[in-house]
Amino acid sequence: MKRRQEKLGWLFASPYLLYSLIFFVIPLFGALFLSFTNWNLISPQYENVGFLNFVKAVKSQEVRAAFFVTYKFMAMFVPIVLIGSLAISLIINSLPRFKSLFSVGYFLPYLASGVATSIVVRGILSYNSALNVWLRNTWDLNIDWLGSSTLAPLIISVMIAWKFMGYYSLILTSGLESIPTEVYEAAAIDGATGWVRFFKITLPLLYPAMFTVTILAVGLVFGIFTEPYVLTGGGPGLSTNTWQMEIYNQAFSKLNAGYGSAIAIIDSVVTFITILVVRKLLEVWGEKYGWD
Amino acid sequence: MKKIAKGILVFVLVASLLSGCGTSTKSENEASQTSKEGVVTIDFWAAPNPPQQTFWKQMAEEFSKVNPNIKVNVSPMPETPSSEAGIQAALAGGNAPTISENISRGFAAQLVDSKALVPLDSMDGWNDIIKSRNMEDTIQAWKFADGHQYVLPIYSNAMLFAWRIDILKQLGYDEPPKTYSQIIELGKKLREKYPDKYLWANPDLIDSTWWKRWFDFFMLYDAASNGNKFIEGNTLVADDKAGVATLKFLEDMAKNKLLLTQVATDPFETAVSVWTTIGPWTFGTWKDKYPELKLNETYVLTPPPVPDGMSTNNVKTFADTKGLVIYAQSSLEKQEAAMEFIKWVYSNPENDMKWFEITNLPPARDDVNTNEQFKAYLKDHPELQLYAESIPNAIPPFDNVKFNDIQTLIGQKAVNPVVAGQIDAQKAWDDMKQAVQGVLK
Repeated sequence: MKRRQEKLGWLFASPYLLYSLIFFVIPLFGALFLSFTNWNLISPQYENVGFLNFVKAVKSQEVRAAFFVTYKFMAMFVPIVLIGSLAISLIINSLPRFKSLFSVGYFLPYLASGVATSIVVRGILSYNSALNVWLRNTWDLNIDWLGSSTLAPLIISVMIAWKFMGYYSLILTSGLESIPTEVYEAAAIDGATGWVRFFKITLPLLYPAMFTVTILAVGLVFGIFTEPYVLTGGGPGLSTNTWQMEIYNQAFSKLNAGYGSAIAIIDSVVTFITILVVRKLLEVWGEKYGWD
Repeated sequence: MKKIAKGILVFVLVASLLSGCGTSTKSENEASQTSKEGVVTIDFWAAPNPPQQTFWKQMAEEFSKVNPNIKVNVSPMPETPSSEAGIQAALAGGNAPTISENISRGFAAQLVDSKALVPLDSMDGWNDIIKSRNMEDTIQAWKFADGHQYVLPIYSNAMLFAWRIDILKQLGYDEPPKTYSQIIELGKKLREKYPDKYLWANPDLIDSTWWKRWFDFFMLYDAASNGNKFIEGNTLVADDKAGVATLKFLEDMAKNKLLLTQVATDPFETAVSVWTTIGPWTFGTWKDKYPELKLNETYVLTPPPVPDGMSTNNVKTFADTKGLVIYAQSSLEKQEAAMEFIKWVYSNPENDMKWFEITNLPPARDDVNTNEQFKAYLKDHPELQLYAESIPNAIPPFDNVKFNDIQTLIGQKAVNPVVAGQIDAQKAWDDMKQAVQGVLK
C-alpha cells in the first residue's frame, strides 16, 4: 500500500519535476557552463576563461551599481507595497459585500503590460505634459522626474508597487479572513478597540501572510527590468541600472553571453543570500514578539 | 554513490534527447522547404517599419513571377527589444533568415567576427550588382578589415539638423546660425525672450545607450573634424582638437541652460525647442501628425554646425546607413537563391526609385543627384533635396567589433558628464580616450 502511494506521489510530482528539469536545471547548468567561457552568443567558437568573467564582474562599475540599486529599490518598494497591499486588504475585508469584485478590481493592474504602463507614465511625466505645465505655471516648479537619481528609482518603485498591491492584497485578505472573529469579540469584551486591536490582534495573526508577501516582494526586486528599461534606460548615471538590465545589456546588446551568464550567477547568489537573511530577520522578529 | 551516478546519467540522456529534438526538426524543415517541387524558399527579414516591408513584399511578389523556382518569404524582423537582439537570438537558436536588411556597419563587424555572414564579394553576381546599381564609389567605404564586402548598403541618410525658422524669425534671424558661437548667441536670445523654450531638447544627451551617439556626438564630430575617422582597425585615430571642440560646444550649451534633457513629447514639433537632429523618415510622420510644419515656412534643414573659423561649405555629417546581408547559417542553395533575388532587384533603377518613393530614404547609389529619374523626384520633394546633396559628405559608422562598448564609453565618459556639468570638455575627452583605448587593447 505504502509503495503504491509512493508511486502515485512520484506520478503527481513528475510534471513539475520535468518542468523544473527543462526550464530550471538544464538552463542553470548551461548558464554555469557559459559563465566560464567567452562565448558571444553567435560564434561557433569559444574559449574557457576560468574565473575571468567573475573577476571582471566584481570590478565592474555597472555590476556594483546593480548591486546597490537593488537594495535602493528594496528600501523603497517593499515598504510601499506592504503598506499599500495591507491597506487594500483591510478595506476589502471591511466591506459588507462585493469583496470579490473589489479584489479583482485591485488585481487588474497586475495584468497590465509593464511596457504599456511605462509609456503612459513617461507621457505623464514629460516636460510638456499637462501635469508639468500646471506645476510650472502654478507653482513655478520644473521637476525633472526621470532625470533625478532620487526621483527616478522612487517613481519606478511606486509603479511596480501599484502593479503588485492588488496581487499581494489577495494573500493578505485570505490571511485576514482566517483570523477567527471570536478573538476580536474577546478583545472587545476586554475593551480593546481601533489601533490596539490592529496592533495587538490583526498584525500578529496576519504575520504568516505578511511573511510570505515580504519574501515575495524582496525576491521581486531582483527581477526588475521592464520599467527601468523603458523609462530610464538604467539612468540617470547608473541610478536605475538593475541586475536584469545589466545581464540583458551584456548578453544581448554587447554579445558578451559568457560574461552576462557570470553576472546572472552572481545575481542568483546575491538573491539567495538576501532572501535567506530577510527570512532569518523576519523569523527572529516573529520569535521576539511571539508572532510566529 | 550508484544512485547519484544513475541520476547524472538520466540527466545527461534527457538533456541530449531534448537538444537532439531541436536540431533534427530544424534540418528536416529546411530539407522539406528546399526540395518541395524544386522550389527554393528563402526567408527575408525586412526592417520593422511598414514602408520598408511594403517595398520588399512588392519586390518578392514581382520576382516570383519571373523566377517561379525561388520563393521569397518577406517578414518583419523582431523589433523587441531591438532588431539586433532579434537577429542574435535567431542566430543563437539556429533560426536565422537567409537574408535581412537593416544591418549597420558596426553590427555587421560583430557578425563577421562570429562568421555569421557570407562574404558577398565572393559570390557570383556581386560585381554585376555594383555596376548595374551605379555604386562603385559608395561601396568602397563598406570594405571590411579582411578586404571582403559583407553588406550591400541599401540607403544612406546624411543626418541633418532642422531649425524652427518661424521662431528664429521672431528672434530677428533670417537664416539659422552655422557656427558654435553663433548658436550659443541665438540660444541666449531665445531663453531671454521665451524662458519656457530651449535650444535643443534631447534626453539622449544624458543617456549612454550606444546608438544614441550617432545622432549627437558623431554628427558634430564628423563636421568638426571634416570627416576624420574615429577608429581605424583597432586604433583610436580621432582628431583631438575636433573632439574637444565638439564636447566644449555641448558644455557651453549646458552651461548656458540651452539644453532640455528632460523627456518631452515631440519638443521640436510643439516648439518647446528650436533645433533638432532629423532623418528623412520623419517627414512621413509630420505629414500625418504635424501637417502645419512646412519647409522654409516653419522649418529649414541644415548640415551640422562647425567650430568658429571653420569653413561652412561642404560640412561633413554622420551617415545613418544600413544594408543587406546573407547569413552563413542558410544552405548554399538558399544563399545562391538570395543572391539571385538581390541581383534582380538592383538590376533595375526603377526599383531604387520605388524604394525612394515608398520609404523616403535615399538609395545608396552614386547617381542620386545626377540620374534624371531621381532628380525629377527630388524636385517634387524639396525636403529630401539636401539629404541627397549631402550623401558625398556623409560618414558611415566605424566598423570595429567593439562598437557597442566604444559608443557606450563615449556617452558615459564624455557626452553624459559634460552635459550634466560634472567635468569639462578636455577632461571628458581624455577620460573617454583612455577608456576606449582600454577596450581596443
